[in-house]
Amino acid sequence: MIEFINVTKHYPGRHHVLRELNLKLPTGQMALLTGPSGAGKSTLLKLLLRLEDVSHGTLMVNGVDVSTLKKRHIPAYRRRIGVVFQDHKLLMDRDVFSNVALTLQVSGMHAKLIQNRVRAALEKVGLGNRIHNMPATLSGGEQQRVGIARAIVHTPEILLADEPTGNLDGSLSTEILDMFRDFHQHGTTVLVATHDQTQVERLGLPVFHLEQGMLQNSQEKSA
Amino acid sequence: MSAIHIRLEAAQNALHTLVKQPLATLMTIFALAIVLALPVGLFAALNNLQQLLGQWRDQAQISLFLHQDATEQDVQQLQKQLQSSTGVVNVRYVGKSAALQEFEKNAGMTAAIKILGENPLPASFIVELNPLSESPAALQAQIQSWARLPGVASAQSDLHWVARLQAILALGKTAVWILAIMLAVGAILVMGNTIRLHIAQRRDEIDIASLVGATRAFIRRPFLYQGLIQGAIAGILAWIIIAITIAILQGPVDRLATLYGTRFELLGLTGLEGLILIAISAILGWLGSRLAVGQHLDHTFS
Repeated sequence: MIEFINVTKHYPGRHHVLRELNLKLPTGQMALLTGPSGAGKSTLLKLLLRLEDVSHGTLMVNGVDVSTLKKRHIPAYRRRIGVVFQDHKLLMDRDVFSNVALTLQVSGMHAKLIQNRVRAALEKVGLGNRIHNMPATLSGGEQQRVGIARAIVHTPEILLADEPTGNLDGSLSTEILDMFRDFHQHGTTVLVATHDQTQVERLGLPVFHLEQGMLQNSQEKSA
Repeated sequence: MSAIHIRLEAAQNALHTLVKQPLATLMTIFALAIVLALPVGLFAALNNLQQLLGQWRDQAQISLFLHQDATEQDVQQLQKQLQSSTGVVNVRYVGKSAALQEFEKNAGMTAAIKILGENPLPASFIVELNPLSESPAALQAQIQSWARLPGVASAQSDLHWVARLQAILALGKTAVWILAIMLAVGAILVMGNTIRLHIAQRRDEIDIASLVGATRAFIRRPFLYQGLIQGAIAGILAWIIIAITIAILQGPVDRLATLYGTRFELLGLTGLEGLILIAISAILGWLGSRLAVGQHLDHTFS
C-alpha cells in the first residue's frame, strides 16, 4: 500500500511542488499518474524512491514510513522497488546482461542465481536473444525494455515508472504499458506517470491527476 | 553471495578499471612512488649518516687518570666496571711508563722529565665511547660517575661535539618527519584527485546503482580497492627507486671512503622496512580514495 497523508514538498525559495497531497494505492493495484509538465508527477515518484525528502506530512509504503526513513535504511528500502525512466538510464558501456544484473548485484546475490534471474527477466520483456548486445545497438523500445527488465528482475513489491513511453511511438507505448499491466496482474503494485491521454483512456485504470502540485480528481483519490 | 565473493568482485572490478586505463594508472603510481621515495630516501640517508658517525667512535675518547697510589687490584676492578658500562666500545689501560714513553715521543721533553727524577705521569684508562649510544647529558653523567670510582683521580673529556652532532641529527630527523607528513598529505591528495576523475567517469553507474538500492559500501568498495592497489604498487616502486639510488651511490661512496682509508657500505631498507613502506603507501592510497568517494557519496545520498 502506498499512502500519501497531507504530503507537501517545497524547495527553499521556490513555490510548493506538492501541496497537502492525500492519495492511497492499495497493494497489488495499478494506477496512472497524469498531469501537465511541472504538475509534480516526477517529484511524487522521487518522494516514493526517497530521492527527495518530504517537507511536511507522512508517506507510508508497505508499512514503512518513508518520510522519516533513516539514511542507512534507504538502500534496503529501494531494493523493494523497481523503477523505469523515460530516458532508460542504461549504462552504455555495459551489455544488456550487465545492465540488468546490477539490480541483483547490489543485493549481493550469487552469480549463478543472477544469471538465471537476468535471463528470465529478459525473456519476460522479449529480449532473451539480446543478452550480450550493447545498449547502443538496440532500438529505443528495446532499450526501454532493458530498463523494465532491470526494474523487475528482483520481483519488486512496487513498480514505478516515470513517463516510460515518452520517447516511444504509439504501438510501442501500448506494448510497454501492457507489459506493466502484466506485472500488476502478477501482484505487483504499479504506479505509472504518463501524459499520454490515448493510453490513459485505453487502459481504463484508476488515475491520479495532478495540477500545480494538487490532486484534482477527488473521487479517484483512492484507486 | 558471501562477503568474500563481494569483495573479490569489487577487487576484480577495481583491477579491470586500472588495466583499462594503463597510462593514467601508471602516471598515478609513478607520481605516488616519487612522492613516497623522497621522505623514505631521506630517512635512509639519515640512517647512513648515523651509521657513519657511529664509526667515529675514536673521537669520543675519555681519559680517566688514576691516583698515583692506585693498586693493581684497583686497576683490574676499574677495567671490569668500565668494560661493562653502556656505550663503551673499547677500554685501554695506559700504565705510568707507557704514558711517559708516549709523552716523550709526542712532546719531545725527554731532558725535562729526566730532571724530575721520577715519572710524574699517572696511569690512565682511555675509554672509547659510541657517541650516539646515549644523550650528551647521560654520557656526561656516566663520566662523572666514573670520576668518583675508587682509584680514579680525574676524568677528561670533550663531549661538546657529541652534543652538537646529536642536535644536528635530531634536527635532520624532525625535518624529515615534517617533510614525510607533508608528502603523505600530498600522496593522499594525488590519490583523491585520481579517484575523483574515476568517479566522474562512472557517475552514471554510481547514480543508477544508488537508485536500485546499492549501499554506500557497495559503491565505495571498488574505488577503495583501486586506491589500495595503486598505493601498494607505488610502495613497491618507491622501494625499488631507493634500492637503485643506493646501488648507484655505492660506487662513489666506495671511492670516497677509500680516500679516507676506510670502507663504508650504504644501508638500504630492510625487508621489514620495505613491507612497512608498502603498507603505509597502500593505506595512503586507500585513505585518498575514501576521502574522494566519501565526499561524492555524501552528495549522492544526501
